[in-house]
Amino acid sequence: MAERDLIDRVNETVDAIIARDDATIALRDPELAPLARVAADLRHYVSPDFKARLRTTLERRTSMTTMTTPTAVREGFTTVTPYIRVPDPGLIEFLTQVFDAQETFSAAGGGGGMHREVRIGDSMLMIGEGSDAGGIMRIRPMAFHVFVQDVDAAYARAVAAGATALGEPADRHYGERAGFVRDPFGNHWYIATPLGPQSLASSQRAVTPVLHAKGAGEYMDFLTRALGAVEEIRAPGPSDEVRYARMRVGDAAIELGEADSMPGSFMLYVTDPDSLYQQAIAAGCRSIMPLSDQPYGRVGGVEDPIGNQWFFSRPATPPA
Amino acid sequence: MTPTSEDDRLLIEAAQADPARFLEIYERYVDRIYAFVSRRTGDRAAAEDVTSQVFEQALRTIGRFEWRGVPLAAWLFRIASNALADHWRQRGRDAAGPPPDLPDSGELDDIDRRLALYQQVAQLPEVQRRVIEMRFVEEKSIREVAAALDRSEGAVKQLQLRALENLRKSMGGHG
Repeated sequence: MAERDLIDRVNETVDAIIARDDATIALRDPELAPLARVAADLRHYVSPDFKARLRTTLERRTSMTTMTTPTAVREGFTTVTPYIRVPDPGLIEFLTQVFDAQETFSAAGGGGGMHREVRIGDSMLMIGEGSDAGGIMRIRPMAFHVFVQDVDAAYARAVAAGATALGEPADRHYGERAGFVRDPFGNHWYIATPLGPQSLASSQRAVTPVLHAKGAGEYMDFLTRALGAVEEIRAPGPSDEVRYARMRVGDAAIELGEADSMPGSFMLYVTDPDSLYQQAIAAGCRSIMPLSDQPYGRVGGVEDPIGNQWFFSRPATPPA
Repeated sequence: MTPTSEDDRLLIEAAQADPARFLEIYERYVDRIYAFVSRRTGDRAAAEDVTSQVFEQALRTIGRFEWRGVPLAAWLFRIASNALADHWRQRGRDAAGPPPDLPDSGELDDIDRRLALYQQVAQLPEVQRRVIEMRFVEEKSIREVAAALDRSEGAVKQLQLRALENLRKSMGGHG
């Protein structure tokens, strides 16, 4: 075959391969076949541009994960602290009666009420009392998974303190004896005592916030992009939905599950609030509080697409 | 070169301690995973989409990967197999079917042969490599490639033939 002829026939074969047309005729031609096989393999040659783009994306994700690693968090706090807004005083009494909560700090807050910080076991919660009119944080109930020594006793104390029963204590298939209540302000408390060593309790603090989300799987991907959250557990339900999941943000855990969204507010103590704020905005959050320097530290806030509010703060006085 | 299990273990431990080290896992396995996925999807956009999902999920879940001597490649192939199942489910195909099989030894040999070929593309003279990438990756016509390289269509066709011949020769007995 003259070279001119071979050049054109190879080119026709390449055209057919690129167009996913039938190129098998080339494989029957002894001169063309070895080149056609090489060309057929090249159709699956990975694009160098694609590889570079994906590398950049992954690099950004990994730097996010590193950024939320708490190296200068506020002493006594993990990276994520739930912030419960309630209209009136009273929640702290409920938490004291049921979970033996200790108030560690209080000061006048926004909305004419008090800002309080309470410890339950090894976990911290923040409570904002007073009207949310004109404020940034809205009054909305949140959900929590709480480990206690004796779930039956804690459940009874909760009901006695005015909670509504959502589920009597019972042995659950996931290795906990658990009972569920709604406090007088609407917050959900999933109270649990581990049944065996394989329970989550061994790797979790006393109180873990639970994010109910419609489309929890996609929301988990979002949290990875926005906050550098790292998936630790994902248990699918019968329709492949997220029945239960746990993610880690810095040194704090959050739990998630598929349900009607029940958004709340969270304070994140991080070394670099500016970068995290920008990253959350880039991922699709909207700004609700531009970054600024306050007496207690540098702080800014965003709201994500399902309504959770995330405030990023670097404390003014670094821990000793 | 096939990584040893000791290489895998060190890579996993490094990535678990410092997420930035995950990029080393990416560099080592992206061609292999893409080659597997590309065979099963057939179209470039879908292959890139699924490959992205595989590595993003691997990054998310590397923290709970427990080293039990299973090669890292097998773990990534498992993620890829599930991502392919999702891909077809979303397209309404095989909705009730099982996930695609993991690659068998024949397919793994085929993937290795292709990876060797792709490494040879990088060794081609610059202009031949550009012709191969524009034709096969960017799916440009001869006329478009000629315009981009400022050469005649005849010259580009000749470069294409030379490149394919060089690749066939360099593959020797593997081609």
